[in-house]
Amino acid sequence: MSSKTANPIMHSAAWRISLWATLAFAIGTMLVFAMVHRFVANDIQRRSDAWLTGEVAVLGDVAGRTPKDRLYGRVVREVAELASREVPNKLRSNGNENDSVFFLQAGDDGNLKLWVGVGDGTQHLAAIRALKAVSDVPYDLNVKGFKHPFRVASVRMEDGSHIYLGLSERDELRVLRNLRFRFLCLWLLIVLFGFAIVFYATRRMLNYVREITEAASRIGQSDLSSRVPTNKRNDEVGHLALTLNHMLDRIESSMHQLHTITESLAHDLRSPLTAIRGKLEIVLSSDLKVEQSEPIVSAIDELDRLTEFLNTSLDVAEARADALRLSRTEVDLDELLRVMLDLYEPCMSEKGLRVDLRSAGPVTVLADAALLHRVIANLLDNECNHLPAACTVSIRLGASENTVILTVEDDGPGFASEVGLQMFEQRVKGRDSKGRGLGLAFVEAVVRAHGGSVTASNPPQGGALLTINWPRAAEETVDAPHSLTLVNR
Amino acid sequence: MSDSDDRIVILQPPEVCESRIKMAYHHSMQLLLVEDELEIQRFLKQSLTDAGYDVDAAKDGRAAAQLASGKKYDVLIVDLGLPDQDGIDLILQLRQSGVSSPVLILSARRSVDDRVKGLEQGGDDYLTKPFALAELLARLRNLLRRNLAASEEASRLRVLDLELDFIRRRASRGGEVLNLSPQEFVLLEYLCRHAGRVVTRSMLLSEVWGMRIQPDTNVVDVHIYRLRGKVDVEGREPLIKTLRGIGYVLKDR
Repeated sequence: MSSKTANPIMHSAAWRISLWATLAFAIGTMLVFAMVHRFVANDIQRRSDAWLTGEVAVLGDVAGRTPKDRLYGRVVREVAELASREVPNKLRSNGNENDSVFFLQAGDDGNLKLWVGVGDGTQHLAAIRALKAVSDVPYDLNVKGFKHPFRVASVRMEDGSHIYLGLSERDELRVLRNLRFRFLCLWLLIVLFGFAIVFYATRRMLNYVREITEAASRIGQSDLSSRVPTNKRNDEVGHLALTLNHMLDRIESSMHQLHTITESLAHDLRSPLTAIRGKLEIVLSSDLKVEQSEPIVSAIDELDRLTEFLNTSLDVAEARADALRLSRTEVDLDELLRVMLDLYEPCMSEKGLRVDLRSAGPVTVLADAALLHRVIANLLDNECNHLPAACTVSIRLGASENTVILTVEDDGPGFASEVGLQMFEQRVKGRDSKGRGLGLAFVEAVVRAHGGSVTASNPPQGGALLTINWPRAAEETVDAPHSLTLVNR
Repeated sequence: MSDSDDRIVILQPPEVCESRIKMAYHHSMQLLLVEDELEIQRFLKQSLTDAGYDVDAAKDGRAAAQLASGKKYDVLIVDLGLPDQDGIDLILQLRQSGVSSPVLILSARRSVDDRVKGLEQGGDDYLTKPFALAELLARLRNLLRRNLAASEEASRLRVLDLELDFIRRRASRGGEVLNLSPQEFVLLEYLCRHAGRVVTRSMLLSEVWGMRIQPDTNVVDVHIYRLRGKVDVEGREPLIKTLRGIGYVLKDR
């Protein structure tokens, strides 16, 4: 991903794909963890509960058997304290052991009979009283002044008093908090790492796709003989490249076939044309009377027209199929127009036409010089042959940043209405036209083959207007030698 | 072309024009014509012989190589589409075996690439079929002159009473300066340099204007007509002649 545009990575497909993939991965792992967390929490609680119910039963038993004398409180307290030392999930680092467990005996009148634990136990008793519902299974108890709830199991004595054993959930919660914290760290690490891997992998793959795209567009624009890059891996993108190359092979081969057909057609027609023309010339060069030479002269003339027609037809056919071979050089359109007008001006003024060229100076285009010469000649031939006398042809050459605009306008009768939209089709011509209707088709085909466009219209003020948009020469070829364009010797 | 300006219809047989060549050299020029189409080979051989050349003809690459190894030719005329090998390959092969004579390539192919390719590979000129005989002869002359080292750099050129001064870019006839535009001077110069020989419209278009086009209009004729109006003034002998169906010729005697 190049950094040419603003924030190109954020707009890349690799970024989006990795974002979505990472999101899915993160949510998935989070859900799995939530389940594991729940399972662990439940398990810890189950163990605590088992311990509580066991201990409370033992304490109840001890309390029931111990005679209710002076030593009763002491014995039960000793047992309760012993039991509190065996608290599950206990963190030994904590010096004060007793704050995690309490033992409470309340009489059937609700008064505190015996208390083992931190504080005086009134808060705990008040909390138990407030809870009212007393069940056999352990339950949660929030005690005022304590951050963490207690898990409380109770047992009813024969004398109507209740024994409560509470275990603070502090340690349990701390274990779970630790678990969550570690998971979060690890999760973040994995998610970031996963994102990086997915991003790297998709970017690599998509870079390859981009290379293929660039190569394909390059091929589409100019060079049909090159191919898109292929990699060694046998994956989908590799298949794409191979498929593209297969397609290009076929296109190239059909292009080649078209070339072969046009070449052999040209060859097969040209050889007899050469022989006929040569023989006619030999006849013409022998001593003939004017009347005898007339048909031969016109035959040679017709042969030349036929040859030109053949060439132009094949060029138009190839250009239409995007198979026209262009050998592009730098051509100064301004200079070319001046030389062309110099050539055509006498002929036009002979027919009573005026020509007017307006150009802002040298305009260089990258074009096949021979074809461009013929395009301009065709345009001027067209004006010469179709305009009535006393008309004016205005040729304007302008250039914008990346196109060159050439307009040819006249104040004649305009394009025949029946020609209409098929203006640039082969063999479409006005009723009164004496040409073969190939001229504008050729102009359009050549301009299109160079990446430009032609529009023709009859403007409201009358006459005919032809506009050619020609792409400008690329900057890097500006210092190419000016040879081959025009040699005005 | 049925042009209105063809006042003079004189059919000057090329052999009359070309006989000059024959006389200019002690021996007649030796040509090797390599062309597989027998019809074309026949008429080319005839007109080249008429023009004063000694022509050997071959119909394929093998025969051509055999002939070229036995004799030194001044110019080779090679068709690109030979039955046994490509004309370009033949030229390469001949060049390798030491044949250094200039080559005129004939081709029925369309692409311009071939032209460049041909010139790069040792061919010295190129002509697309079908061509005008006059053009073939003009190109042959060019090749031969190139072969004999150019001697064209004179500052003045005289054809009968017509005189061209290349330094002052001025033309005069019988001492009277002609009022020519720069373009007309170039056109007249080309005709004078080929005085007595036929020049075709496409030769003028490519040599004077620098473009290979086949206009649908009589653009070249109008230029010649105007030039003629200035050169062949009243009372002077007309020098610029139209050979209908062939081209133009500037009389040199």
